Parts: sequence; structure tokens; C-alpha cells
Amino acid sequence: MTSKTVMCPKCKQQFTIVGNPGAKVALTCPKCNLIGSFAFPCVKADDGYFCIEIKNLTKRYKDVKAVDNLSFNVRKGEIFGFLGPNGAGKTTTIKALLGLIHINNGSIKINNMDIYKDGIKIKKEIGFLPERISFYDNLTPVQTLNFFCELKGVDKSIVPSLVKDVGLEDAMNRKVGTFSKGMVQLLGVAQALIGNPSIYILDEPTAGLDARWVKIVRDKIKMLKERGATVIFSSHILSEVEALCDRVAIINKGKLIAEDTVTNLSRYLHMKPRLEITIKGLNGKVPGVISNLQGIDTAEAKGDTLFITCEPQIRAKVISSLEAAGFIIDNIKTIEPSLEDTFIKLIEGDN
Amino acid sequence: MIKPKSIYIVAKKEFLDNIRNKWVILLTILFVLLIVVFSYVAGGQTGEDTFGNMQNTVFGLIGISSLLIPLIAIILGFSTISGEAESGALYVVLSYPIKRMEVLLGKLLGLGLVITVSIFLGFGLGGIVIALTVGTQSFWGYIAFILLSIFLGFIYLSLAICISSYCKRRITSIGGGILVFFWGMIYGTVLMGIYFGAGYSMNDLMSGNYPDWFFNSVVFSPTDLSQTAVQRAFGVTTISAAGFEMSIPEFLSMPVLLLSQIIWFVIPLVLAYYFFKKRDI
Repeated sequence: MTSKTVMCPKCKQQFTIVGNPGAKVALTCPKCNLIGSFAFPCVKADDGYFCIEIKNLTKRYKDVKAVDNLSFNVRKGEIFGFLGPNGAGKTTTIKALLGLIHINNGSIKINNMDIYKDGIKIKKEIGFLPERISFYDNLTPVQTLNFFCELKGVDKSIVPSLVKDVGLEDAMNRKVGTFSKGMVQLLGVAQALIGNPSIYILDEPTAGLDARWVKIVRDKIKMLKERGATVIFSSHILSEVEALCDRVAIINKGKLIAEDTVTNLSRYLHMKPRLEITIKGLNGKVPGVISNLQGIDTAEAKGDTLFITCEPQIRAKVISSLEAAGFIIDNIKTIEPSLEDTFIKLIEGDN
Repeated sequence: MIKPKSIYIVAKKEFLDNIRNKWVILLTILFVLLIVVFSYVAGGQTGEDTFGNMQNTVFGLIGISSLLIPLIAIILGFSTISGEAESGALYVVLSYPIKRMEVLLGKLLGLGLVITVSIFLGFGLGGIVIALTVGTQSFWGYIAFILLSIFLGFIYLSLAICISSYCKRRITSIGGGILVFFWGMIYGTVLMGIYFGAGYSMNDLMSGNYPDWFFNSVVFSPTDLSQTAVQRAFGVTTISAAGFEMSIPEFLSMPVLLLSQIIWFVIPLVLAYYFFKKRDI
């Protein structure tokens, strides 16, 4: 971690931020509440420190910039979340990571090798699961996985256990063309595991799966990390990213908005827990004792419920002031800020 | 470096998948039935033909094969890249350590093998019928016919794959496939149009008054090239039909015919690779 003094572009307030070398952190200006992202001076990484390095990646489709000067790094052995609204450029970035599209600018290095030069070498080390997956209608799952094993030069004897691993053993001799969407996705998971790669690139890995399998896939991702693999996955399910990832990159309109740990992201955005207090006979009015209290960020009343965001240390004061003023408190709930709130705040700030 | 093993792996997968394609199975059954029935009727029953001069049989078989073989090839090839790119299957394959050139050649060989199986089934059974009913005098001509038919299949496959790697979507490549198929079918009609347009009359046609370009222009149609080559292989030099005769000009010798077909095979394949290489998956 290093620290750096930055200046708010709007109110020119100077303040200090803390972060990792090379990272981009999101934060709000303490004075004017402008949300922005500030890059740390790029510190040269030690060799082997980063597993995936994306630098100034730009991809244009005709006039539209799908990815615009995007840079971020993924460290060896971490689970890296890749987050953004639909059309933000997530899939385009993943395609570029695999060297499947012709990029307009930038460079992509995986294990210190250029994907556009040493693609064949690198791809032996990659397990990939696309968002929209499809196989060959007239082949059985075993024939399909045999094909992929051969492509990777892996012994085919692992195929039956792979099929069993993803719970498709009952469909072993059926044609993939007769499979449901979820079953095809599971076959995709099996395919990505071939040869125990050290890097996994997963594009929306749990999309289209039922709850039971979502859990199994998430457990598998955790297991991969325990084995020392690097996982980068994109998702629109924020709770998933929050539960699994060490770090996240948030992109919008092809640009990086933030790259940081989940906890840091919430902290930099000054996201405070929200109190929900139910008071009989409140009738949608914020009590005067609350409006006069120091350290309250927002106070809002809806029916019998009072919503308050404030510093954690004055929570007790809020309750005692309410009681002292004669209000009868029925219920108190504290809602911690989630990545979703962070995400929405960042995207809104960007737009 | 292109690895033959990678090409073989893709070819094997393409073969296993497409040999079970229901349209291909249906067309192969139709092909086999037509060939066997025709060999029996034209070869044995009319009594006119012998294997030494099996003009009627050959013309009948050419008619069947030059319709069905291009059709099977186009059905196999038209969506092999555009369709798989759209469904996402190609996306997975290219995330593996394989080159696009290897994928393309593997597809060509695997799908070509499916056509070869169809052709062997049809011509093999047809050949047995001919051998039983008329004899085996034209054995080598028949073998050349089979090889030329397989080659015709590969030419159309190369054209279909080219369309498939050019078109962004499956639906547009269907259009391209239909266009290529009909070019072979309507070429004769187009040629007739040009013939009459150039001032020739019906009488000229009947009395065998053709300019050189009339025959030589078969180089523009892979189907006609193949048909002419088959006739040459059987030693047919004059075609007599509907009371008039025309002879195949000297210019269209076997080497010229074969070379033109090779060009029809190679150019679309080179273009296919160029489009595929440039493509964003």
C-alpha cells in the first residue's frame, strides 16, 4: 500500500488516498462529494507478480468504442471480479484476453507473454467458460469432452470423472442437442476444468443455473483458489462478486471506473450503514431531535419508518435522543452497505 | 507451424457430428436410391448400353450427382463458421491451443469425408448394379467418375466454407449457399442467353454452329467443368442429344479441366482463411 495526495478536479480540495501500486481507486471528494477515480502512479510490478496485465486496451466496433483505454492487472492466485452493467464491454475484454478479436490499441499479457504472439502456449494454461455456450448437437457429452481433451493434449481417461463431477452422468449417452440450457452450461464448466489450468476466465459462470448448481459452481470457484489458481470472472450478480472476490474492477461504457478490494471500494465511497427505525405514530415526519443532531448525513421518514445514515459511533446517540424525546421504538434494523450500493453510486457518478 | 494432429482432431469431431446430420442422411439416402435405380434401369434394362459405351448411364448419373453432391456439400459447409460463431461453439474451440488455419483445414477434411462416405455409398452400390447387369469394361472410367465426384464435393465445400467465414450470421450464409447452388444449376441457361444475345439462332444451335467461347466458358461453372471431365474420363468426345451432335473442343483437355477445378477449389479456400483470420469471434 502506498499513499498519494490528489486534487479534486471540481473544488480543487487536496486530500490523501491510500491504495496498491498500479491500482485505480474510487472515492468521493470529502469536500464536494464528487465521485471520481484516481490512479496511483504506476509502480513497475515485480516479474511474476501479475498474472494478467491489460494495458490501454481499446476495441472499436465501427464507430462505437466497446472498450476504451482500459488497463488493469490481476494478481497470481486471486479471484478477480469483473463488474459492469450490460454493454459495458465485459465480454469484449474477455474476448481480447483470449486473443479472439483484433484490438485497435493496447497490449495484453498473461504470465508475461503476449496473447497475440504466444496464444497457443498461453491457452494451454487457461480454462474458459463463455457466457453463451454451445456445443455440437450430434455429439454426446463424452465425445464432446474427448474432443476438448485432445485439443489440450490431456489424457481422455479423465472424461468420465469430469462428467460425473458436474452431475451429467445420467445423460452420458444422450446427444448434447437434447440438453437443457443448464445442462449445456454444466458441460461448459466440465470443459473449463480440463487439464487443471492455472488461470480460469469465466464469463457469467452461474447464469442460467438453478440455485443448487449455483452453489456448486461457487464452491468450485473457491476450491480453484485454494488450489492456487487465478480466477477472473465477470458477473452482474453483485452479491456473488462480493462473496467470492478478493478484488474487483468496475467498468462502464468501456472505461475502468474502479479497481480495488470490495471493502476498500465501500469505504472510499463513504458508504455508511443505514438505520431503519420503526416508530409508532411517526406519520412521515422527521423528528426535530434528529434534524438537530450532529453527524447525521441523511434522515428521511416514510410512514412509521425513519431512515437514517450516519457515522456508526453516533448510532447510540440517535436512539437515546429519540427515546428522550418520548418516541416509542418498535424495531431497529441496520443495513450494511453492499457492493451493489457502491456499484450504483459509481455508475451514477460516471454517467 | 501447422500441426497435422490438431487438424486431425478437428476433422474427427466434424465427421462424428455431421455424419449424424439428418439432412445429410436424408440426401444420402436419396442419392443412393437414385443412383441404384438409375444404374439398373438405364444400364441393364434398356439393353442399349454396355459398360464399354455407357453414355446413357453416365449422363443420368452425372445429372444426379451434379445436383445432389453440391447440395450436400453446401448443407455441410454453409454454417460451419458463421453458425458456430453465432451459437458460441467456435468461441470455446478458439479458446483452446489451436490455430485458425488448423480449424479451417480440419473442417474441410472432416466434412469432405462425410461427402466421400455419401459418394462411396451411392456409387459403390450403383457400381455393383452396373457390374452385375452390364459388365465391368469401363471400370477405370467409373473409378475416375467417383474421384471426380469427390473432388466436386470438395470444390463446393470450399465455396460453402468461404461463404461461411465471410458472413457474420448464419442466416446470411444460407443466402450465399443458395446463390452458389443455383449458379451451378442455371449456368447453362445463362450461357444460352448470351449465345442468343450474341446473334446466334435456334438453327445455329441445332446444326452445331458454336463459337469457341461457348464450350470454353465451362470454366466459369464448377459443375459443368466436372461434367465435362467425367465425359472425357469415359472417352466421350461427342455428345448426341435430341437429334444433334456436338463435340467437346480440343481446348478442354483433361489437364485444363483438372487445373480449372483446382483453381475453383483453392481460391475460395484461400479467401476463407483470409476472412476467418480477420474475423472477430
